[in-house]
Amino acid sequence: MFFTTIKGLIAHKLRLFATALAVTLGVAFMAGTLVLTDTVGRTFDDLFGNVYKQTDVVVRSQAAFGAGAVVQRGRVSESLLTEVRAVPGVAQAQGGVFGYARLIGSNGDALGNPAAGAPTIGGDWTESARLNPYDLVTGSPPAADDEVVIDAASANIGKLAVGDTTTVLVQGPPQRVRISGIARFGTVDSPGGATVVLFRHTVAQKLIAEPGKFDTISVVAAPGVTQQQLAARVAKILPASAEAVTGAAMTKESQAAIRQAMGFFRTFMLVFAVVALLVGAFMIFNTFSITVAQRTRENGLLRALGASRRQILASVLLEALAVGVIASLLGIVGGLGVAIGLKELLGAVGIPVPAGSVVFKPATVVISMVVGVGVALLAALSPARKAAEVPPIAAMQRGLVGSTGYGSKRRVYIGSGLLLGGLATLLIGLFGAVSEGVILVGTGALLVFFGVSTLGRTMSLPLSKLIGAPLPRLRGVTGELARDNAMRNPKRTAASASALMIGVALVGFITIFVSSTKASVEQAVDQSFIGDIVVTSGGGMSGGVDPSLAKRLDLLPEVANATGLRQGFASVEGQVEFVTGVNTATAFDVLDIVPIKGRAVDLGRSGVAIRQDVATNKHLAIGDVVSIVFRDTGAQQLRVAMIYAHGQFVGLQEVHPSYLLGMPAYDANFATHFDMQINIKQAGDVSEAAALAAVERAAKPYAGVSVLNRAGFKKQQTAPLNQMLALVYALLGLAIFIALLGIANTLALSIFERTREIGLLRAVGMTRAQLRSSIRWESVIIAVQGTVLGLAIGLFFGWALVGALEDEGLTVFRVPYGSLSIIVALAAVAGMVAAIGPSRRAAKLNVLKAVTSD
Amino acid sequence: MTTPVLFHEARTFTSVAAAARTVDATKIYGIGETEVRALDGVTVAFARAQFTAIMGPSGSGKSTLMHCVAGLDSLTSGRAFIGEADLSALNDRELTILRRDQVGFIFQAYNLLPTMTAAENLTLPLRLAGRKPDREWLDTVVEVMGLRDRLHHRPSEMSGGQQQRVAVGRALATRPQIVFADEPTGNLDSKAGTEVLEFMRNAVDHMGQTIVMVTHDPMSAAYADSIIFLADGRIVDEMAHPTAGRVLERMKQFGE
Repeated sequence: MFFTTIKGLIAHKLRLFATALAVTLGVAFMAGTLVLTDTVGRTFDDLFGNVYKQTDVVVRSQAAFGAGAVVQRGRVSESLLTEVRAVPGVAQAQGGVFGYARLIGSNGDALGNPAAGAPTIGGDWTESARLNPYDLVTGSPPAADDEVVIDAASANIGKLAVGDTTTVLVQGPPQRVRISGIARFGTVDSPGGATVVLFRHTVAQKLIAEPGKFDTISVVAAPGVTQQQLAARVAKILPASAEAVTGAAMTKESQAAIRQAMGFFRTFMLVFAVVALLVGAFMIFNTFSITVAQRTRENGLLRALGASRRQILASVLLEALAVGVIASLLGIVGGLGVAIGLKELLGAVGIPVPAGSVVFKPATVVISMVVGVGVALLAALSPARKAAEVPPIAAMQRGLVGSTGYGSKRRVYIGSGLLLGGLATLLIGLFGAVSEGVILVGTGALLVFFGVSTLGRTMSLPLSKLIGAPLPRLRGVTGELARDNAMRNPKRTAASASALMIGVALVGFITIFVSSTKASVEQAVDQSFIGDIVVTSGGGMSGGVDPSLAKRLDLLPEVANATGLRQGFASVEGQVEFVTGVNTATAFDVLDIVPIKGRAVDLGRSGVAIRQDVATNKHLAIGDVVSIVFRDTGAQQLRVAMIYAHGQFVGLQEVHPSYLLGMPAYDANFATHFDMQINIKQAGDVSEAAALAAVERAAKPYAGVSVLNRAGFKKQQTAPLNQMLALVYALLGLAIFIALLGIANTLALSIFERTREIGLLRAVGMTRAQLRSSIRWESVIIAVQGTVLGLAIGLFFGWALVGALEDEGLTVFRVPYGSLSIIVALAAVAGMVAAIGPSRRAAKLNVLKAVTSD
Repeated sequence: MTTPVLFHEARTFTSVAAAARTVDATKIYGIGETEVRALDGVTVAFARAQFTAIMGPSGSGKSTLMHCVAGLDSLTSGRAFIGEADLSALNDRELTILRRDQVGFIFQAYNLLPTMTAAENLTLPLRLAGRKPDREWLDTVVEVMGLRDRLHHRPSEMSGGQQQRVAVGRALATRPQIVFADEPTGNLDSKAGTEVLEFMRNAVDHMGQTIVMVTHDPMSAAYADSIIFLADGRIVDEMAHPTAGRVLERMKQFGE
């Protein structure tokens, strides 16, 4: 039996290749992702290991609130440093600060992308070489108040050299600085692709943090004192608001943070691996089903000659095993390529991965092999069973090829069950108040795919009929043949279409999701923004533009009102929330906030405004006291001074602000004073162009900001979506490409089966062109069928997700009929392309040989 | 069952003596040591409105001759004509269209497309040509073949004899210059075989159809107007007005 399997494999190298390719790609994605995340994880582990190698204890403020990625810590008093130095066993102690600083390159453009990519960090140059994680490459430490050291990556990108003068955006007006030195962070040019500016100690406190305060105090132990002992001793003299952490613990914490950041990326990539594997499974199932059907007589003969059912089953599974093993091995090798490619891609988008050898864990090989081979075997199981069921008498029979009809009742029940279960699981995951929502959504989506493909055979016949309906009229007997052939084996047509369906469903879903998001953003801008011009700071959550800009803009004669917006984290009654700072004098003229109770002027230094539905939920009324914990000032009691409706701030972290503070209250409780966005209403008597020009002139010194009119603002807010769309399209395009190969494969096998029929058709007068056209249209029917099913699923996924995210600002569900029509048209074209090879081969068949073949 | 009008029509375009012919037709398979001369300088003409049978032992070249005259295979040397068309001068497309419009085929088995009904199979060549079938003519064919009540059945719902009758009907539907039949009764029982042969005989007598049939069955050959005998790629004998007994005698000489 083994011998026949191997012979069969060698005889069909091309088919084997096409079938294996899908699994290979899936495994390559998976292995690549594992290799990359392992590699990045390892290099960052090493990096942080080095950074804290010399630090035995770190003193910092206790977390004010929050957990995980949003831990908010205040700063400790500078005076603690002297006390820490006095603790027995302390050999050295050094204070450090960090905050937001954004460097301007030699061409005047701001470096980094704090809003959507690499962060921009400011800090102080640590005098102690032992404790300083940065190593100077050229130049010297900052010696004057206007001197800075910058990271080597930024020096390179911004074309800045030692001795150059440039600008740094910090708190307060932009600062002119001179570059005294360029440094590397351990083994990399910059930590995680961040732009780094290091000032002198006191300057850093003033410009990017708070005077008289440190973010951390790093401590070196005297010989013979362990980290734990030292931490315990230092902890004793600290106030309750501060804590002492060992260097080892700091290393672990940083490593864990990086792992968490990588987690999203890992999940994202693995989703595509699963998609490719799923498509691969369908292809294997289909190819094996067809070849098993074609070998019915052969298997019957083997049975007649004494082969047992188990032996037939084993021979088919053996073939699948070979496909799985070859595909997985190729996939693992390809995975290394994928890992290197992804590493370059990360570097290209500004997240350089530290240099270091590729980490290729045995676990990666094992996992990839098990998954790849498992998928192949599972997919081939049902065809193998079919093969084993062939009775010996089949050796003597003819023409028992394939199955027709709608599929059994049981199949319909199982398919419907899977589909309904999938839909329910998906909806519970999206709308239900469950903690494992993401897993439920993923499982639900998978079940939907399985359900639809199980029902595929039943749906395929009417679908083919419907899709092919215009063909006889358009293409005559050629079209009729195409439709009849697509309908003659619904099981095969459905399986080919299912492979395509998966990719198209996800493309359709993403397209609908993105178009709904865009529509929602546009609607939000139209409804909530009653101004004319927006200035976005480009500073992300941690930075922004100095409030002086808003003041200057408000004074311009071309401007009626200019109002700055800020947003930060706070803990409201134990929950981490965003609080938004508004200028009560100007905000209500430019923003769509409608006070319902109370007055904005009453907000003052200790008042808070609450959105109506939040207030109702929390049973809060005007005059009630709310306890809010701020990072920099701790717990504060604020009085509810106003309740408002509406309010939608596009471009801020929280789009529907729940809590508003007046600027006096905001500034009193947040140490950093940045505007994230400035909304402007132009004066009544000037043109938009004139107002824009005036605002641009005034904003000129504040590099990194964008001055936008409504249309420009909409575009800026939706631009990242286009990038995401392109990336997802590229990844899913691969899955669709594989599925098209699958259609070509199926067609080729079907044509092989129909050799005699094709001979007859050619003999009685079908031209080569007619034959090719007929096969092309058959392919189009299959492709369009997969696409239509996929889009139906994608439409549902899109609708469900948009509905689930309504609270996050996705208020519009928009189906981009234009784009979806293009997808269907492309599918039809792709179907034609997939048919090129098979139809050519069919047309080249020798008529006489075909018509007299067995 | 007489159809004088059609009979007359079919006769009117008879301006050339032969519906198909070959001149010094030679077909060689393989080269050198393995060379096989399937046809060795065959010159033959198939007269119009005649039923001709080609006979000969296995490997005599009778099928090859038919395939080459029908435009399904090409000659190594020599020429083959359908009407006045020289097959060697035609490309694949022209040859296909010639087959579609001027030649009818009846194979031993698998004559019909399983996805199409009898009616659809019957009109397949016409529809491939994009031509509207001549209703009256089709009705006649259907009537003559006794297919009226089977028109909307698929091949899987018909007996072997019925299937072959549809095949004969399809071959006649385009009113071709010539119909080639390759062992048309080889897969049928004798009753169904006789029926099919009688229909073919009818088509010649009443519709003026030209038919060439390859067979090795003396009973079938006896339905023909004349027989040509092939052996080793050459015409070795001819027989007019054959009877089964005489054919059997002649075949015995081949040692079959």
